[in-house]
Amino acid sequence: MAACVVKIGVYVCHCGLNIAGTVDVAKVAEYAETLSNVVLAKHYTYMCSDPGQRMIQEDIKKHKLNRIVIATCSPRMHEETFRKAAEEAGLNPYLVEIVNLREHVSWPHGGEPEKATEKAKALVRMGVARARLLELLKKVKVAVEKKVLVVGGGIAGIQASLDMANAGLSVYLVEKQPSIGGRMAQLDKTFPTLDCSACILTPKMVDVGRHPNITLLTNSEVADVKGFVGNYEVTVLKKARYVDESKCVGCELCVKVCPVKVPDKFNENFSQTRAVSIQFPQAVPKVASIDPAYCLRLKLGKKEVCGKCLQVCEAKAIDFEQKPEEIKLKVGGILIAVGSGVFDASKMAEYGYGRFPDVISNIEFERISDASGPTGGKIVSPRTGKHPKSIAFIQCVGSRDKRFHEYCCRVGCMISLKQAILARGKLGEDVNIYVCYNDLRSFGKDCEEFYRRARDLDINFVAGIPSDIRRLADGTLYFDVYERGTNRLLEVHADIVVLANGLVPNIDLDSIGTMFHAGRSADGFLLEAHPKLRPLESSTAGVFLAGTCQGPKDIPDTVAQASGAAAKVVDLLSAGEIELEPLKAVVDEEFCSGCDVCRSLCPFSAMEIVPKGEGKTAKVIEAMCQGCGLCAAACPSGAVKIQQFTDRQLLAQVQVSCKEPEGGS
Amino acid sequence: MKTAVFWGCRILTSQYAYEMSVREVMPKLGVELADLPEALCCGDPVKSVNDFAATYLSARVMALAHALDAGQLLVPCNRCHFTISEAKRSIEGDKKVSEKVSGMLAEEKLEYNPNMRLWHVIDFLHGFVGLEKVKKAVKPWKGLRLASHVGCQIIRYSDLGRVDNAENPTKLDELIGAVGAETVDYAEKLDCCGAHLLLSHVDTAFSLAGAKLRSLRELGVDGLVVSCPDCGLMYDFKQKDAAATVGVKLEIPVVYYTQLLGLALGIDQEKLGLHLNQSPVDRLLMKISV
Amino acid sequence: MSLVDLMSMAKPNLKSRAKVFSKLKGRDLVNCFQCIKCTSGCTALKLLELKPHEVEKLANLGFVDELVASDILWTCVTCLKCIQRCPQKASPYHVIMALRNLAVEREVKIPEAFMKAVSQVLETGMAEAYQKIAKGTETFDRESLKLPRIGSPREGFQALFLKALEEK
Repeated sequence: MAACVVKIGVYVCHCGLNIAGTVDVAKVAEYAETLSNVVLAKHYTYMCSDPGQRMIQEDIKKHKLNRIVIATCSPRMHEETFRKAAEEAGLNPYLVEIVNLREHVSWPHGGEPEKATEKAKALVRMGVARARLLELLKKVKVAVEKKVLVVGGGIAGIQASLDMANAGLSVYLVEKQPSIGGRMAQLDKTFPTLDCSACILTPKMVDVGRHPNITLLTNSEVADVKGFVGNYEVTVLKKARYVDESKCVGCELCVKVCPVKVPDKFNENFSQTRAVSIQFPQAVPKVASIDPAYCLRLKLGKKEVCGKCLQVCEAKAIDFEQKPEEIKLKVGGILIAVGSGVFDASKMAEYGYGRFPDVISNIEFERISDASGPTGGKIVSPRTGKHPKSIAFIQCVGSRDKRFHEYCCRVGCMISLKQAILARGKLGEDVNIYVCYNDLRSFGKDCEEFYRRARDLDINFVAGIPSDIRRLADGTLYFDVYERGTNRLLEVHADIVVLANGLVPNIDLDSIGTMFHAGRSADGFLLEAHPKLRPLESSTAGVFLAGTCQGPKDIPDTVAQASGAAAKVVDLLSAGEIELEPLKAVVDEEFCSGCDVCRSLCPFSAMEIVPKGEGKTAKVIEAMCQGCGLCAAACPSGAVKIQQFTDRQLLAQVQVSCKEPEGGS
Repeated sequence: MKTAVFWGCRILTSQYAYEMSVREVMPKLGVELADLPEALCCGDPVKSVNDFAATYLSARVMALAHALDAGQLLVPCNRCHFTISEAKRSIEGDKKVSEKVSGMLAEEKLEYNPNMRLWHVIDFLHGFVGLEKVKKAVKPWKGLRLASHVGCQIIRYSDLGRVDNAENPTKLDELIGAVGAETVDYAEKLDCCGAHLLLSHVDTAFSLAGAKLRSLRELGVDGLVVSCPDCGLMYDFKQKDAAATVGVKLEIPVVYYTQLLGLALGIDQEKLGLHLNQSPVDRLLMKISV
Repeated sequence: MSLVDLMSMAKPNLKSRAKVFSKLKGRDLVNCFQCIKCTSGCTALKLLELKPHEVEKLANLGFVDELVASDILWTCVTCLKCIQRCPQKASPYHVIMALRNLAVEREVKIPEAFMKAVSQVLETGMAEAYQKIAKGTETFDRESLKLPRIGSPREGFQALFLKALEEK
């Protein structure tokens, strides 16, 4: 701003009664008008509304305002809105200052209107002080990689990858397991339609495998992430699977001859697979892999041991010399879809999971109900192998429980309804089926109807949760449950008890959250940037979230969220360049001695030291700088500052925080 | 470290066998116990009347142990162990309570020591003395099938910090295993003996004890092992009353773990108070041919 | 009898409720969502019809006066299964104990044995009296069993214990 007079407009928002219910907005506006450089001050019911914005724009033009202070809600809500409005009226958007009167004043000080009004005045005074010193800034344009990294190949990662690939982006899909498919591949049927899980999932998996825009990296994990939105550098570690993916035809001859039996995790350890195996029949890629923890040759590290798979493989795909591979990728955006874990019910010891074989988890039930599972789809007691005469489902295991997870798992009720319906279908009329619940939550589309359908099938819904499960001398299970509707204590004998284990944060979230700078919410899941305004992205620019890594959800919600997040990534990258906020470090070379402190501290490698005359000076690599401010704080000579957050601006604010400026305003 | 022992009312006034067996067994395992100088209630029955008064009594117990210069306190009674644990929590978690209690103790020149470590006989033997040491010290038997009853208040509630796992306690079973006996798992293992109801609903108290003993009779065990004077009172002393409520002859030998351990250590039956047990312990003794 | 009579005409008493909450240092132990797990496992349910979830809800709604006057408070066995397993970390046990304390304060009828135990503690330091154990024709006591004599509480204890009992 060349030597022109600073003209400030102050706008106080009522936010309905959110602010005006506590703060005397008229008084605040009146006070603001007394501050120097303030040309006008107004208050209005909703500043963010169209008339509100228009009022500001008209004032900018009419009164030649060159600074705007808006006293309203958190800048996280509407800073962007008001900056755009200012820009449209011809004002540089960075000359807008937001004062937070809602989260910082009216909400926390609801009972004290007078004090709240005083605090509001002080904050406005501080905002005006800073506004006087705001500087013109310009957004930075950067070219972006039109490529995406998708972490996790469950249904969320699959759906998002397909959507983005179809929109023309190049997708790298990284999956930890030898096959994509995730949790959904383990399920028998899905609620509330009872269509078979594999029938929905398998075609999508095949599409991923064939899509020209998708590079599938299975048996792989992300090892490192560098860079920033639009320009991430990712290192993927592809573990050795000891089978050449390009040669293996998936004939499974190797599996047939492998002598080492291994518990089959895909079947929840109800059956055994071999040290060389294909994860499940519909695997993509349909390629074998060898588990080095079990393979005799790999375990002993001796060439002369076993080697039966090697002998039998006609495609010559077995490769014991295979080494892990580091793959470097450049991507513009990242989508995290690593899914969730399932609560370990042995922690809830009163139900005997892990001690009584007939107490099983709901995911274990899926495997014994699945036609391609260890029992061929026959529901039998794991202890006796016989058809049960009575099955009981117990809800809320590990969730809605302050001892473990306080949140509702959102799928437990519907899973049990589905499994009860499947059990009725497979076991016939004579079997007693109980569902013991606290609140039966069937809130999804078509889910209440599904609940009704279950009641028609003579399933006993018991409004009450048992205290414990006991094993009787004959090995069968027994529990007491008090029923809320009838005020009776029911004595239930069961051959199988299925625990509705909730979904829990994936154990990998610890490392993933740190690696991608993605925050966690109190429940342990990944935190979205804003639950309503930005639900599909993390708080780190360019990092998006989909599926159960963000919170427990069912398949329909997961797929919807994945498509939504995919659209956000396409939106971000399709133009080929993005605008970045100019909140970056700048170096005043006159004062810089090139001492190197800033460069050594910068977490984003955004500082370099370059020669200048006879000495040297620090220089900011604009595209890398995230404006974190570490350099500015550390600089011993005060040569580095962060634009929009300069010492001058902040100190001006501090100086007027507790008292009026000297000599009146 | 010096170990004080707080017996509690039930042991001192009637469950002499428990007291005698603990007094016999501990020195054999290298532990000397120091008695508190005064008879005192832990506060348990007072808790229903006035919580603070109960906390004060527990605090006084701990302070008396501290005055003996003991660093740890052995409490063989489940109920006392629980009451003292809750008092400890209340004193250490609430400044007001702690100040009031300290003030009252000071009037007798007593002092509350938050570092006083509490033990029950079960975790003391299992953890402090050590399961291995117990194993080495005994002459184990063979072919004995016993049921264990740990009682309620040394395992629940976990948040208070208890002696063993609340839902799958194993320490007593392991200690029984150490003397060479097999323990039988049974559905009612964690159920309550009912002793607290002796104060208000005597018949129900006996019914609860009877229900458990009836199940054990059906299982055909050689005996029941307890480690709490309340449970001992209900299953051993009051076995006949319990039997009357379930209408069957029970006749299950019931012993304290320390009695069983004492036998395996070669201690004389009478010194262990086995002549005081009211249940048919002779059958068990015959089985191990002592 | 009219239909109305079938319903309790009792009104919640929020002052009494506040008293219980203050004894429990807040609402956490009463913050029940009625899953019934406590009652399903309550030792005193089958024979004495104690329903801990009902105690929780009544306390929550403020029907404290009825609870305090009710015999149901004195049926709890203190097996602690309710608090151990409660998914909301509520504690029917602690609520019941707080209500018992309130019953005593209000001098409602309470089982004699509890008051007897308290006066015994006051007199002898212990809640119970020494017993002679009979077996066959013989009787045994501490002396005959050569068990050490236990001293009585020192002077001053009585006054202090009485003072403690005054705390509300």
